[in-house]
Amino acid sequence: MADVIHIPLWYLPLLVLLPLVALAAAAVWLRRLAHRQSIAGEEPDWSVPPLASEKGDDSMLHRWDVRCKIVTIMIFSFVIASLSHLAPALAAVGISLIVLAISKACLARVLFRLLALAGFLGILAVVMPFTVPAHPGDTLVVFAGLDWLGLNMRGLLLAATIAARAVAIALLMEPLLSTAPLPVTLHGLSRLGVPEMASQMVLLSHRYVHVFRQEARRMSSGMQVRGFRKQTDFETLRIVANFLGMLFVRSFERTERVFEAMRARGYRGRFPEPVKLRIRPADILIAALWMAAAAALITYDRVIL
Amino acid sequence: MHEIDEAIQFRPASGNPIFRMRGLSYSYPDGVEAICGISTDIFPGDRIALVGQNGSGKTTLIKLLSGLLKTGGGELSYKNEPLDGRLLEQKSLETGVLFQDPDDQLFMHTVLEDAAFGPRQQGFSSVEAHTAAQRALRQVSLDKMAYKAPHNLSYGQKKRAALAGLLAMEPGVLLLDEPTANLDPSQEQVFLDLLKNFPGTLVCISHDLIFLYELCDRAVVLDQGRIHHDYTMRELVSQRHTLREHGLDFSFRLVVAPQVPEHGKSPHENPHSGGGRVSDRTPKQPVVAMQDYNHRYPDGTLALKNINLAIEKGGRVSIVGENGAGKSTLLSCLVGLRQGKGDYFFSGNPVTRKVQKKLWRRVGIVFQDCADQLFCPSVKEEVSFGLRRLGCSRAETEAGVFRALSMVGLEGFEERVPLHLSGGEKRRLALACVLAMEPELLILDEPTAGLDPRGEELLIQILRDLSVTLLLVSHDVFFIRELTGRTLVMHQGHILEDLPTRDFLTDERLGNLNGLAYTYRVQNTRDIQTLQHEHEHEHSHLHYHLHSHPHRHGELVHEHPHEHAHQHLHRFVHRHPGQGEKHDHAPRRYHEHDHPGHDKEPHDHSHD
Repeated sequence: MADVIHIPLWYLPLLVLLPLVALAAAAVWLRRLAHRQSIAGEEPDWSVPPLASEKGDDSMLHRWDVRCKIVTIMIFSFVIASLSHLAPALAAVGISLIVLAISKACLARVLFRLLALAGFLGILAVVMPFTVPAHPGDTLVVFAGLDWLGLNMRGLLLAATIAARAVAIALLMEPLLSTAPLPVTLHGLSRLGVPEMASQMVLLSHRYVHVFRQEARRMSSGMQVRGFRKQTDFETLRIVANFLGMLFVRSFERTERVFEAMRARGYRGRFPEPVKLRIRPADILIAALWMAAAAALITYDRVIL
Repeated sequence: MHEIDEAIQFRPASGNPIFRMRGLSYSYPDGVEAICGISTDIFPGDRIALVGQNGSGKTTLIKLLSGLLKTGGGELSYKNEPLDGRLLEQKSLETGVLFQDPDDQLFMHTVLEDAAFGPRQQGFSSVEAHTAAQRALRQVSLDKMAYKAPHNLSYGQKKRAALAGLLAMEPGVLLLDEPTANLDPSQEQVFLDLLKNFPGTLVCISHDLIFLYELCDRAVVLDQGRIHHDYTMRELVSQRHTLREHGLDFSFRLVVAPQVPEHGKSPHENPHSGGGRVSDRTPKQPVVAMQDYNHRYPDGTLALKNINLAIEKGGRVSIVGENGAGKSTLLSCLVGLRQGKGDYFFSGNPVTRKVQKKLWRRVGIVFQDCADQLFCPSVKEEVSFGLRRLGCSRAETEAGVFRALSMVGLEGFEERVPLHLSGGEKRRLALACVLAMEPELLILDEPTAGLDPRGEELLIQILRDLSVTLLLVSHDVFFIRELTGRTLVMHQGHILEDLPTRDFLTDERLGNLNGLAYTYRVQNTRDIQTLQHEHEHEHSHLHYHLHSHPHRHGELVHEHPHEHAHQHLHRFVHRHPGQGEKHDHAPRRYHEHDHPGHDKEPHDHSHD
């Protein structure tokens, strides 16, 4: 039998709307902060490598062998995803924050990642407390006069746990991806058994997604200056289909030209190795320590709690 | 069609050619013959201009030489060995191909990695490859951008980065496809200097014959996949009839007399649209007026600063400025794609957010890359797109399409696919799409980019005949001079000067500021004018003529006229004023000339 707490109706906006407003305000603040952080004051010095490791001003994560880093962070992420209690999930967030601080990652990019999650987590936080089925021992908060609308505290806790797990994993993505150049990370993946062709495709996609995006934007502008405005009608569908078709044809032609350019410069199916990878004892030690932290979290979550 | 030059060999076949072509042919998979029976040699150190109209087979030939396409017939050898198999791989590491669009060529993560790609494929270690890449980047003045991602470079920087990728490989041969297309003059000069200093063999495709005249010494003219002429660059530029037959006549650019009338007004310009500072005149209602207009990009960069501008109805105004000066941003604001802060009036009405959304009805723009504007499956649909958005009836749309296509000379193209049109046709189609909507203000962004001379000449004729208010953004001094009477000079986001075009063209300070001081172009133009006006050539023929000289018959020495034959060269200086005009040419068959010392030459009769 669930414990039911009756509270006055005016608590409803306090408990539901205010957190929503607070979340929206936090999202706006995060967006502004991220935007401010992303505005470069001066043009960076592009004659030196942008990554700290290549400048000598590096962190432990920059020096860490990329294969160890990928494997360790992936395993740690799966461990976080398997946590079922809020306390270990919050501990995982703490560990992720420490890793983030050690890696000296760009705050703006971290904030943008969190912003991408904010909407999903916000909906989860609102919906779950009202939709989780009541089990014996659950605490239900019922608003006077609205007996059908019970706020299940277990649902709220569950939503908070999911949010903490998602944030902890999202915080780790920046240390994983920004502490080595993309070609090095992809090279590490190849050495871990991911097909080399897949890595090359990711690398080329990363290069050309910007080109295709600019091309699409220019084409969209070309349509706008001739009066195109999206509407919910068949004509709009036809025009958008034409636009996508043309974009596809142009992209296809470009891929052919890119391949020709690659062949003309001696490409025979393989990109040169960006770095020689070598695992040192220190790399193994860091991975072992991190795995120990993961084991501790699992133990705390499954055995102690 | 004129006859193909039979004596197509530029130089006597001596030494070992790098490329040897004999009856070289290639057909596309759909059966269209792109290259047909080409026979010529390319020798070490050659600097060859590969010219011809769009679709003449230039790019296909480059791809054959680079090994990207397999020959369809005939013989192609590289350093005296047939170009296939292992040699093909070796050759691709010794030959650099510069493609027209630098985005196709910059496929690596950073500029440095891209430049190092070629040397790594050549077998150099990472350190050696990066050293070569750094050296090449220094050559193209991009060493400060080594770790920048290619998509963050400007167009000119991308072009230079692509060239650096080739220079790092230290190739013996460079094959260049439109190396300076869409570059601003200062970038073009940088490119020219780099290529002039390249010590190897060059084969360069370009429609810009003035640039080629500066860079190359040999010209190969292709037409429908065949070599029609193979001679010196001087010979090519001096023969207007040959240029015209191949759609390459750029002589319309070589007009000496200024085309801009007094007070900076173009011949087609409204009397109110002449030069002078905006503030100096008391204009009527301007079509466009901006006051204290600013625009800031989302990243915070102030792109337009305190813009004050007025363009009166019927005015023809050009905007010049270096890359990044803010020209395109200004155009985006004028056409309603962006909105800045400040006052913007169109035909006297303030452009609010609501009005901005409807500006497309009154302002037409043709983008620099006009392919961005073409997305319909047929030419007819493309032109009618805007008319349908304007709410025209079917009959009005039909009439508008017909009228617009007629204006740009594309009658009969209604069912063609825009994607498959040539560069010049696409440009004219984009113009037709805009003209069909009868805009009050027509904006052209770099209208000559990628056009061959015939396309340029056609375009300028069309634009001259238009009676619309025109705003032209261009680096092309000729187009600016021909089409506009007033020039706005932009620099670092603001309008630095607003003056008559004539004054702008004579102001070296402004030319230098905007990189429009085409020193080599001016000099080459003068040289070519002289060549086209008067050139010399030589030919040999057999003479039968009477003359007298002392000779001996036994003991008798006497002198009397007698006939004999001999062959020698004649040198002529003559004029080629242009097609259809009288040709001042010394007769070949009968003409008087001296034969100094001919009696010492071998005779066909005995003097004993």
